[in-house]
Amino acid sequence: MPPRILRNILAKLKGRGDKNLTRIQRRRALADLAWRTYPRLQLLLFAIGYAWLLTIPSTLHGQRTYIDENALQPGQVNTYWNWADVHRADRYLEQLESMRDRNASSHETATFISNEFRKLGIPASTQDYAFSTTSGTVSGTNAYAVLSSPRASGTEAMVISASRLSLTGEGDGTLNLRGIATVLSLAAYLKGYSLWAKDLVFVVSDGYLDGMQAWISSYHGVTQGNLVAEPLQLSSGVIWTALNIDYPGHSFSHLGVFFEGLNGRLPNQDLINSFQVISRFTGGVPVLVYDHFDQSEFPDRVPDFVPKWLPQGMRRNEATQEYAYRAQNVMRHIGYQARGRASGVHGLLHQFRIDAITLFAVPAQGPHGFHAIGRVVESTLRTLNNLLERLHASFFFYLLVGPATFMKIGAFLPAPVLVGTAMLVGGMGAWAAARWARQGRAQGQAEKREEGRDVPAARWIERPRPVAPALSVIVYTHALGIALFCLCTWPGILAGGNIVATLLFASVALAAGGGSLLARAPAGSTQAPSWMILKSFNLCLASTVISVTSVLNFSLAATLAVFMGLPLSLSAPSRSAAARLTKFTLYALLALGWLLFVPGEAAQALRNWEVLRVWFAPFVCIVYTPLVLQAGVVCLLSP
Amino acid sequence: MIETLPLSLLLLLVCSICSAKESFSERLVLSPNLDGTVTASFAFTTLLEGARPRDPAALAEEDDSQHYTLFPLALGQILRDNAITELHLTLNAGKWDYQNWGYPEEEGVGTGAELWAWMGEGAVQTADERWKNLRNALAGLFCASIGSLDEQRTTSPALTFQPEGDLPLSSTTHALRHGTLPSERVCTENLTPFLKLLPCKARSGIATLLNPHRLFDADWHGMGVHVRYLEGAGIEVRLAFQAVLNPVRYSGDKKRDWSMTSLFDRSIERSCPVASSSEIAVRVPPAGGAITEPAPLARHAGFAVYDVKHVDKPIDVGMRWPEETQFEYSLDAPQSALMIRRRLSGSDQYKGQLSVVLTNKAPHEVKTSYLETMPWLLQFYLHSLRVVCDGIPRDDLVSIVSYTPPVPHARPSLLQAVLTLPANSTVQLTMDVVKPFLRYTEHPPDAQRGWDLPPAVFVPLGANATGAARLRRVYTPVLLVDLATPDFSMPYNVIIMSCTLIALVFGGVFNLLTRKFVVVALAPAAPADT
Repeated sequence: MPPRILRNILAKLKGRGDKNLTRIQRRRALADLAWRTYPRLQLLLFAIGYAWLLTIPSTLHGQRTYIDENALQPGQVNTYWNWADVHRADRYLEQLESMRDRNASSHETATFISNEFRKLGIPASTQDYAFSTTSGTVSGTNAYAVLSSPRASGTEAMVISASRLSLTGEGDGTLNLRGIATVLSLAAYLKGYSLWAKDLVFVVSDGYLDGMQAWISSYHGVTQGNLVAEPLQLSSGVIWTALNIDYPGHSFSHLGVFFEGLNGRLPNQDLINSFQVISRFTGGVPVLVYDHFDQSEFPDRVPDFVPKWLPQGMRRNEATQEYAYRAQNVMRHIGYQARGRASGVHGLLHQFRIDAITLFAVPAQGPHGFHAIGRVVESTLRTLNNLLERLHASFFFYLLVGPATFMKIGAFLPAPVLVGTAMLVGGMGAWAAARWARQGRAQGQAEKREEGRDVPAARWIERPRPVAPALSVIVYTHALGIALFCLCTWPGILAGGNIVATLLFASVALAAGGGSLLARAPAGSTQAPSWMILKSFNLCLASTVISVTSVLNFSLAATLAVFMGLPLSLSAPSRSAAARLTKFTLYALLALGWLLFVPGEAAQALRNWEVLRVWFAPFVCIVYTPLVLQAGVVCLLSP
Repeated sequence: MIETLPLSLLLLLVCSICSAKESFSERLVLSPNLDGTVTASFAFTTLLEGARPRDPAALAEEDDSQHYTLFPLALGQILRDNAITELHLTLNAGKWDYQNWGYPEEEGVGTGAELWAWMGEGAVQTADERWKNLRNALAGLFCASIGSLDEQRTTSPALTFQPEGDLPLSSTTHALRHGTLPSERVCTENLTPFLKLLPCKARSGIATLLNPHRLFDADWHGMGVHVRYLEGAGIEVRLAFQAVLNPVRYSGDKKRDWSMTSLFDRSIERSCPVASSSEIAVRVPPAGGAITEPAPLARHAGFAVYDVKHVDKPIDVGMRWPEETQFEYSLDAPQSALMIRRRLSGSDQYKGQLSVVLTNKAPHEVKTSYLETMPWLLQFYLHSLRVVCDGIPRDDLVSIVSYTPPVPHARPSLLQAVLTLPANSTVQLTMDVVKPFLRYTEHPPDAQRGWDLPPAVFVPLGANATGAARLRRVYTPVLLVDLATPDFSMPYNVIIMSCTLIALVFGGVFNLLTRKFVVVALAPAAPADT
């Protein structure tokens, strides 16, 4: 027998009398409750979702990183990289610097590098390539070498790469000569060992990202419309892991890890964790996330990333500093991942299921140099050499808030999903609201005087909800987005300066505004107002987009949640034409503002689409912009 | 030597009592290569004179008792029990570099394990049953996983794998069974049973040099067991070991000088008393500059020959290049007459493309046979086979001899073709492939590794080739294919997810089936309908 209190509750829930009757009544009561409380529920979900987003950098979340794959055994080997190898790297560097000083062509440098590989007895070759983009042709020459390991079948390979340009300033022209010298000297050194179970592929790619894109596409036999690349003369097996070495300065104090790949893909976390362990314990080099210094290393200094406007006491507070440090890492991560950008050359390899990271030697006056980076890379390669399978044990979805602290997907995913759910609730509420209307205000007031309980259901009238006009607006705006994207890919449109951008903005906004004619309801109709139906569809669609994106690319979903969550939920027409127009203009600015305010960003996104197939630019044009424009159209329609 | 002499006399005495005469000979060929490495090919041959393979028709009857002195008994029993006429087993590690190392002494250099056998038909037990027994017996004998060369990997490519000896005429037809296991790793546990089959083990004679510490540190190593029947001579067993050693890597000063002590960490101190012949041949590079030590007994056809039948003092053959301070690799990759590259491209989990690029450097046309024995893990679209010669489509250059399509979960595919390579040309052959979906029980424990695919085998045909007596096989490197793999680290999630789905569907259907629909009158006092 259950306790009495439980029985009472059950009896209350079950009710007395006919069981079926009470069930139907209960159901109706619940529906009633949902109808009455949905605006509050929506608000609550929004509040929790946004608050959750804000707590991501706090110490509430996060745990220490750990190695999941037992085969890796990082840092368990003796390294033999020594001063003779450092000396050889210095010799290579001298030669590379002299080539830089006499302005050697890219082809000449690549030939030099490939000849140096051959002198070491490693088969090497060069590859010419050219990308044609709307902003001109990008061409260059890659050099690469394939060291077949003794006794290995050559079915698996590891890549050690260095791009000609460093990732400093996203390829602003800083040369990565020391990175190349490291790769060359490593090649000579690694050939002397018989313990490699996988082939070692050395790649010195031209340019910043373009060279590696050409090389890796050719390696996998993938053709790209605007790329002309020489087929590779040498090949190896399936590439599992890759390390990209970026060493732009004279010396370095820390090794930074860059890991974001194209379209928001991340490498398996075991790779980052192994490198982190090895760098710290074998190489004696502290690790950073990107090039952000951890405030705990400089306890007396208030780091720059803590906002200046905070009171002095708070600025000196450890918790604030930790929050600001983590927030900085998360924001940088979101900046890369949401835009689908690779944070370094390694990111291009992720598209072919290669786990890769960039080791960035953070430029400093000291104390580390070739000796430390050589040991770290050697030991990391030894660890990767231990792999019997692809890296699969650890996480593929994570937020690295510190070099050894991370968040699991469960800790950050709910934030955008809650915002998405709030929008869904709002959309479904709008759908239900479109069906029911009170029968005239006067009548309603008259009825109000009567007893609330006895109000007859008849004061609500049911309205038909035609979906065709709303759907046609949706299809129209998305078609407009496709047209906008095609226009943007025309040569010279985005490079045309402010006037062209303003014209484009105005014409697209006008065309979208014209879309409101599609949903214009005939005067005096008894149908549901089309703005309600459109809003309902718009919210449901946006919610779906956010929820689906959240499991593929958290950063993009979070950004969308911020940009679309509340704004789309607030769309509603006004009585005055001026207010309507103002609202529409605001939405148009939210949808298309990137044309006016960040033209450089837009051009970069488009270039990434053309060269690297990053779908951020088409996504914005075809999904994001139309969704916000639909909200604008909602405001234009008659209330 | 003095102590072993009476023993060998005794052995000879025992030998003469036996019905069949046996003879054992050993030979080592050492040849320096272009990239500073040294290929060492050991061959230990035992001939059972006058013997014949067992007649498969007599398999049901009790076999005659077998007495061997030199011939390996463990192997002999397997051969008799299954009536095997010819047998070739190779276990190799590494990929053979034909360009730098030239053509190998032992031609079976495909990565991993390869086993092929010719056997007479007409027995009570079918050829397939005996093939299975043979696999399992050899797997036990050599500690290798040859047992898993099952029906899914067994083919009969008779065009490429012609018998190396003779097939007994009296017997009925002979069948070939062939299988490769590219993922087999070869190590000391395979060498130990191999050495046990030798009459002198690794104690004396050339086999002394088989030092596992050095052999398994080589750039390439492989062992082979070859049994063939020679009409008029008898049954021959050749145990072969081949290794490519890298003195440049071993030496601190990057020189390519080598000696037996530097390569194997051993020298020959005693001869094998039962060996009828025992010789070491060192190929002297034609370029000159090399000094072979000690002075050889004889030189012929570019080889310096040493007899190790009688050893007075430890023999340590070596070669020096006194004028070199350091070995210099040549800048241009060496070119062999026929260069083959095979690749599997495409990053898709479903589709891919198999491409083979053949470069014929010879000034004349070359015909070559082409063999693909592919497990059903990769299925060919034969209609998409395209041949491009120096950028021009030339589908006429390929003619398909036979094609056996795969049967999923059961049988591999077999493609035999003949390619014509025009003089001084590069021929590219491409074919679309699909990767099938595996049952979850078919995935190996290391599911995320992918699947190793066997090498393709080419046999250059034609009279105007080098004029070698027999056609020689050329192996391509093996491939690795990634098939769609479930995330095995999350079985519980999968189970929970599917159970939830089933429960939802079942619950809904059950509810609808058992529910009775009636009209219920609501009391007017019910809450307002909104």
